[in-house]
Amino acid sequence: MIKEYNILISSVGGQGGITLARIISSAALSQGLKVRVGETLGMAQRGGSVQSHVRFGEDVYGPLIPERRSDVLFSLEPAEALRVAKYIGKKTTIIMNTSPYLPISVMLNEATYPKIEEIVSILNRLGGRVYPIDAMKLAEKAGSSRSLNIVMLGAYMSLEAPILTLEAIKEAMAISLPSRYLEQNTRALNLGMEKMKKLITGL
Amino acid sequence: MLESFINRALERNLSKMIGEEGSVSLLMGNEAIARGAIEAGVKIVIGYPGTPSSEVIQTLAPTAKELGIRVEWAVNEKVAIDIGAGAALAGSRCLVTMKMAGLNVASDSIISIAYGDVNGGLVIYVADDPAAHAGMAEQDSRFFTKISLLPMIDVSDPQDAKDAIVEAFDFSEQFKIPVFIRSTSRVAHMRSAVTYGPVRRIRRAAEFKRDIRRFTRASPVWCMEQHRILNEKIEKMKPTFENSKFNELSIPENNTGVGVIASGVSWNYLQEIVARHNLTKVATLRIGTINPLPEDLIRAFIDEVDRILVLEEMEPYIELHLKAMIGDVGKHILVYGKYDGTLSRVGEYNDHLVERALGKLVEKKFVEENFELEEIREEASKLAPRRPLPFCPGCPHRATYTAMRQALRELGYGDGDAIITGDIGCTILGMHPPFNMCWTEVSMGASIALACGLRYAGIDKPIIATIGDSTFFHAGIPPTVNAAWYNTNIVIAVLDNRVTAMTGHQPSPGSGYTATGEEAEAIRIESLLEASGVKKVRVVDPYDLQLTKEAFIEALKEKGPSAIVLRRICSLVARRMRLIGRPSVVDPEKCTGCQLCIRTLSCPAMSITADGKMVIDLATCTGCGVCAQICPFDAITPWRS
Repeated sequence: MIKEYNILISSVGGQGGITLARIISSAALSQGLKVRVGETLGMAQRGGSVQSHVRFGEDVYGPLIPERRSDVLFSLEPAEALRVAKYIGKKTTIIMNTSPYLPISVMLNEATYPKIEEIVSILNRLGGRVYPIDAMKLAEKAGSSRSLNIVMLGAYMSLEAPILTLEAIKEAMAISLPSRYLEQNTRALNLGMEKMKKLITGL
Repeated sequence: MLESFINRALERNLSKMIGEEGSVSLLMGNEAIARGAIEAGVKIVIGYPGTPSSEVIQTLAPTAKELGIRVEWAVNEKVAIDIGAGAALAGSRCLVTMKMAGLNVASDSIISIAYGDVNGGLVIYVADDPAAHAGMAEQDSRFFTKISLLPMIDVSDPQDAKDAIVEAFDFSEQFKIPVFIRSTSRVAHMRSAVTYGPVRRIRRAAEFKRDIRRFTRASPVWCMEQHRILNEKIEKMKPTFENSKFNELSIPENNTGVGVIASGVSWNYLQEIVARHNLTKVATLRIGTINPLPEDLIRAFIDEVDRILVLEEMEPYIELHLKAMIGDVGKHILVYGKYDGTLSRVGEYNDHLVERALGKLVEKKFVEENFELEEIREEASKLAPRRPLPFCPGCPHRATYTAMRQALRELGYGDGDAIITGDIGCTILGMHPPFNMCWTEVSMGASIALACGLRYAGIDKPIIATIGDSTFFHAGIPPTVNAAWYNTNIVIAVLDNRVTAMTGHQPSPGSGYTATGEEAEAIRIESLLEASGVKKVRVVDPYDLQLTKEAFIEALKEKGPSAIVLRRICSLVARRMRLIGRPSVVDPEKCTGCQLCIRTLSCPAMSITADGKMVIDLATCTGCGVCAQICPFDAITPWRS
């Protein structure tokens, strides 16, 4: 029996973070898990930071992941992993898309965007295991940058013993995603899975 | 095209909400409220959009036809509650929804409605926003029970929210009184499994019997009689509320005199931390009935403990009552909460804060602080660049503020020379870079009257009030009448993007359709402005920067109030309706890399290539063409296949 398992999805509005949370949570529910999801909505489509906290397990009640207790962090944008640093602990596995979504403050030269190596290094110092993936490139290969979230999901499914079954995930994708994009998203899922397999065997 | 857009929006969630008794669905708190209304056999659901309450009506709209429920967006919350009260007088069950700021708008009516009776159940759902996620005051609406005297249940999770709505309708009819259901952002937007109950079908003939003594107020004697009856109702409700499932008292046999009272979302944090640290000896009391409070349970709790932690977000509502009750009992009890500084009145609670407070209560250190890692965490958070909210790609408001700035410059006013009062909704995003143009934000419709006040005080610079279409309908008309009545020299800019955009593109009275997708009269803002006494009203398409700039220049030159309606559909809605143009492209030969476009517009579709030139993302660009009008080198042209 799972007592507590926490997945944090950190993204920029419009990247599909909330859809990813819906797929994962409905897959978990179909596997009979007790599920809680906390979301920051309202500004989701407007280029702001968006976080979804997806939680499973018997001892889970709160809508937010307790600090440092994320099992998995999906960072759909590199710097958004930094923003949620307080949720990263020693057991956190971080799947990070490496292509940035530059905020206006950076475009206007009012802020600087950290280097990817710098982001990875600081995440490593926090104790989490980081898997950087150019998910944007893979999504485009699958058919559109809009499948970025599904590439990331695929990468997760190739990790050692993910709690969710591939069957449940595929079913949840069929329910949650527009049917006309299902083929493209299935390609994205597979590309993500292959990429993570390569990363793991390479490590 | 409009029809297919609306229908697609309506079909989402339809089958989910009409699930059978016993089925389990993963619902957001607000969706659970919607399901609760269906189970309660509600006949009318009405409200005004406002984060975090909007999803109730959005979820119910697609079920309206199937279930015979009337689901509507009202022009504002006061209109919504008055319609709800009217329907309840005639025996219908009615749910009225709003955010906390909307409660203030509806409050004038609610206080008066409380003095009469309701014949059908009247339930008011209000959602507060600790931590101001949607950017308004951290208002604790529980205190509204002190002003209105009305009963209130504070919910903790989606299942609880659904159950509370169903019971609230029964309570409302049993005691002939409106009942509040209150939630907060974290509950309203939390998703968890909800088990469906049976759906009641209520068929009642509409009937309202004349009883002037109960339903009019202009007699002091009758009013005081009504006030007395209201107090009696609350007194009579006490045992029902006290014994409802929304309060839970647990005093373990082996308790050590330590207890926690929790309410709302905090109840979840408490249960989780109790499970994590196996705190089986701690006495707990969950309070769901905020008014009337379960005083017998609180007394029973006080009897058993000598140290109490109170977990409630925002203001110390329960803590205040608890302290008064402890005083009555005359027992010495230590109370940890807001007054002693254990927890803050500002922001929202989380697991970490509650765990630390519980640690203080049971004198244990639960959290191992590793300062080296804490420093790295802080360093990491600081490295993340700020993401101020931009206007969306193709947003007509970006064009409006750009043209407004051009007009002011042409009249000789530099950055900061003219005052712009902003209003609620997407139009306020002009407060962010690169515009920094909205100076103030108060409440719905306040921009116009605030501008008048600045003028009265003697400000002699140009003053422009910006306001959205839905906000104008909601509360912008009375201050416009006032400005015209006293011939006040301000410019009223109504940024009309045809929907209530910020909260999720709900229709407004100008949209031409209703919440459930039926065609409706599109109320004309320009006619309302003219009827309000504004002599010169211009209507322009903000995508045309030149014409828009000229409209502002003329309006700024006029004495007395003048108005401009800047009409262009929200670009997100346009995208969904497939009404957007071809994306624009940059000619790298002509682009000099001056970056004027980015500095002026900061459109999310723009970025800079390695050689310093601007490039437009084809998937993001909506082809509004505003950047092409800005470029001094004609380097931007509409895309050609």
